[in-house]
Amino acid sequence: MADLGSIRSEAVLMNSVSSKNRPWRSFRAKFILVVGSAVLVDLLISGGLALWNVQRLSRDATEEVGHGLEQASQDYIRTYADSTVAQVSLLLDQVHSDVGVLAGVLQEQIDNPRQQIDIGSAISGVSPGSVELSFDPAGQWAQNAPGSPSVVSAWGYLLNADHNPRPDVLADIRASSVLDLVAPSLLKNGASKLQMYYIGPKERPIFRTAPYTDQAQTFDRLYPGHNAANFWDFFFPGLYETWQSQATGHTGQAIPVEITQTAPYTDAITGKLIVSFFQPLWSADRRSVAGTAGTDITLDQLAETVENVRVAETGFGFLAMSDGNVVAISGRGEKTIGLRSTSDAKGTGVTGLERSLKGSSQPAIAQLASDPRDGIRHISLDQNGEPVPFMVIMKTLPSINLWEAGKVRKDAMSLGIVVPEREIYASLNAAQAEISEATNRIVVYQLLAILLSLVIVTLAVFAASKRITSGISALAGAAQRIQSKDYSVRVAVTSRDEVGEASEAFNRMAEDISYHTENLERLVKERTAEIEDAKEEISILNAQLKSENQRLGTELAVAERIQMMVLPLAAELASSKDLEIAAYMSAADEVGGDYYDVLESEGRFKIGIGDVTGHGLESGVLMLMVQSVARALQEAGTTDPVKFLVDLNSALFKNIVRTRIDKHLTLAFLDYDGKDMLISGQHEEVIIVRANGDLERIETMDLGIPIGLDSDISAFVSTRRIPLEKDDIIVLHTDGVTEAENAHGELFGIERLCKEAVRLHQQSADRIATGIIDTLMSYIGSHKIHDDITLLVLRHR
Amino acid sequence: MEIRDENFRVWAENECVYFDGVLRLAGPDAYSPIYSLAASLLHEDHARVIFDLTGLEFLNSSGINLLAKLTIEARKKPEIQLVIKATTQYPWQSKSLPNLKKLYSGLDLQLA
Repeated sequence: MADLGSIRSEAVLMNSVSSKNRPWRSFRAKFILVVGSAVLVDLLISGGLALWNVQRLSRDATEEVGHGLEQASQDYIRTYADSTVAQVSLLLDQVHSDVGVLAGVLQEQIDNPRQQIDIGSAISGVSPGSVELSFDPAGQWAQNAPGSPSVVSAWGYLLNADHNPRPDVLADIRASSVLDLVAPSLLKNGASKLQMYYIGPKERPIFRTAPYTDQAQTFDRLYPGHNAANFWDFFFPGLYETWQSQATGHTGQAIPVEITQTAPYTDAITGKLIVSFFQPLWSADRRSVAGTAGTDITLDQLAETVENVRVAETGFGFLAMSDGNVVAISGRGEKTIGLRSTSDAKGTGVTGLERSLKGSSQPAIAQLASDPRDGIRHISLDQNGEPVPFMVIMKTLPSINLWEAGKVRKDAMSLGIVVPEREIYASLNAAQAEISEATNRIVVYQLLAILLSLVIVTLAVFAASKRITSGISALAGAAQRIQSKDYSVRVAVTSRDEVGEASEAFNRMAEDISYHTENLERLVKERTAEIEDAKEEISILNAQLKSENQRLGTELAVAERIQMMVLPLAAELASSKDLEIAAYMSAADEVGGDYYDVLESEGRFKIGIGDVTGHGLESGVLMLMVQSVARALQEAGTTDPVKFLVDLNSALFKNIVRTRIDKHLTLAFLDYDGKDMLISGQHEEVIIVRANGDLERIETMDLGIPIGLDSDISAFVSTRRIPLEKDDIIVLHTDGVTEAENAHGELFGIERLCKEAVRLHQQSADRIATGIIDTLMSYIGSHKIHDDITLLVLRHR
Repeated sequence: MEIRDENFRVWAENECVYFDGVLRLAGPDAYSPIYSLAASLLHEDHARVIFDLTGLEFLNSSGINLLAKLTIEARKKPEIQLVIKATTQYPWQSKSLPNLKKLYSGLDLQLA
């Protein structure tokens, strides 16, 4: 037996050889393929599902977050817009309120002329600078000197020839001095106002303004020719007439608040863009206009509120009139929505500002001007040639009366807030980006996890498959080695499983094969010798058998010869004048010991039938002895059947003892004296068929005992007399007839024999014998005949 | 002890010898083992010896000779009660066995 080390090295060698031969068809490859595929499919399905779910989750989350954020953003902007509108409205309301207070004071003066005069006188007394005007020859107007809280100008056409104000004008100057009491505090408090003023009615349109400025001088510089025309007609054409028509009841007041606002224009005094707010004053009877109280605010104040709008990073607000004219916007905002401002130089009245949305270089903004409904809309603005999405929310302010281009009409300003969508949606985008990033991260992690799992499983499968299949590979390799007649191979048993058991069994088989192969030659030699010995033995036995056969054959031939020799001749059978006798005997292959005889002596016939036990020469010899003794006794004149049998038995018994022939025989005799038939001795039944067909069966058991068993049988032998008439027949047989078998092993039997005898009884003895034998032979067919067949038929003539 | 071939079986159990099947042996020599088997019981100290033939379908004349010799052998030993159990089911038994009773009246032939 090889040592373990060499076995291992051989196993390893075989393993590598076999796997080199069929790397992709090996058990291991299949194992790896199957397990790997299962794991791969599993991973792909679970991984794919996970990825799909993550993607869907991400999509849903993005949608949900986007929806929420968008809603929140829009709500925020809307709220912002509302609050900005409220702020603007508040500012305007404060201005309205301030104008209202001034107007109220002035209206009170008008409605109470006495009080008006008293107050005027009081102020004139306290502050004469407020009512004393000096003529300016260059400007052809009169104005009070600086130092008063307010400046009051009386235009040239309000002066007399002595350059003093007309008396009614002077009265108005005095009355309006009440402004000195009210305006400074109004200017100081409330909304930030540029100036507050009083303008007299059209027939004496003095212009008192607080605080004091060189207003007439400024008018001369900015509005040459104003001193030649009526103030109202020059600066605010149509406005006065509108109010007047309201007073006379031609048209109703447009709104309950009796304040009219101008469109923005350049302030004559400060040069700033301003908006004026007027509240008309009425005569005591309310039938005509009695001047106006007014205040100016710079657009800066409105613009400040609007420009303070800070939505996201670059979001901005604007305030537009209903015709699209933008009255407040930051510079950046103006640029973003593409506004172009043009001064309306050729317009009438105060110089207006034309900066309309309609004139925007951005089509979306121009469209906005034609459809200024409230609400949020999404537009695209061109920025540096790139379309950028913006969100615009429009909010209409409360209505006002607007004087513009000589007319007063109802108008409402709109606040717009413009925000780049990318800023509005910055948080949304950030959230989406975060979700997307998270999704991507999860996807990447998932993929990494799948790959890692694959690597681990692959390594594990490789490792496990090596363990699992190495035993099988080693076995396969070892089997190949055995196939190539290397019987020294053994496999290492490394496991306790089925492979281990197979390996152990393989080693045992290999050992057996090895042993048998190595010892085959010796074994063949041994076996050959054994076979030769056996053959010799067989030859010897065969030779013995041959000689034995020969001897037996000779013996049988002799026996048969003896049997046939002693049978009666045909002439002897026919010697009786009363009896017609037919006999048939067929010896079996091995010669039975059947015997029949017809002995005649002095007219007495003795017909015998017997059956010696056994076969062969000894049976033949015993039969010969029986025949000889019977003949001798017949010749000796022994007529008593009983004595005949007793003597015959005695003689035979002694000879059987001497010859040591271990046999006996049944033997019966019929004695016929021409009249009756006497039956003696024990044999088969005697069959008698009468001439009329009646059947009689004579049992012979009580008429004797087998011959040769005992020395003296006299106690057992007796006779029976049978009367015999013409055409009666007697049939004698040996058991060879009744015990003949057919192919199924069924015996012919006494009944069948009797039936045949009855059937044939009218025919001659010969024909009866032949007929019975024919039936018997066809019954036996090709089946083996075990015993001699003997049949004797006697017919009474 | 048992003697058998494809057709028959003869065996001894205590004081009883059973015969079974079809016995058609060629002669005294062929029957001698059976004779020895049955006769040995007669030489042992049994109060009685039973030959049970109830399973023996057929016995040829040599076999009947064997039974006759055994009967004569038993006749020499009157102290042993020989019993032969037989059946009328098989015709040869009622035909041949009464002869044994003739040979030895002390034989207990139970033909049922």
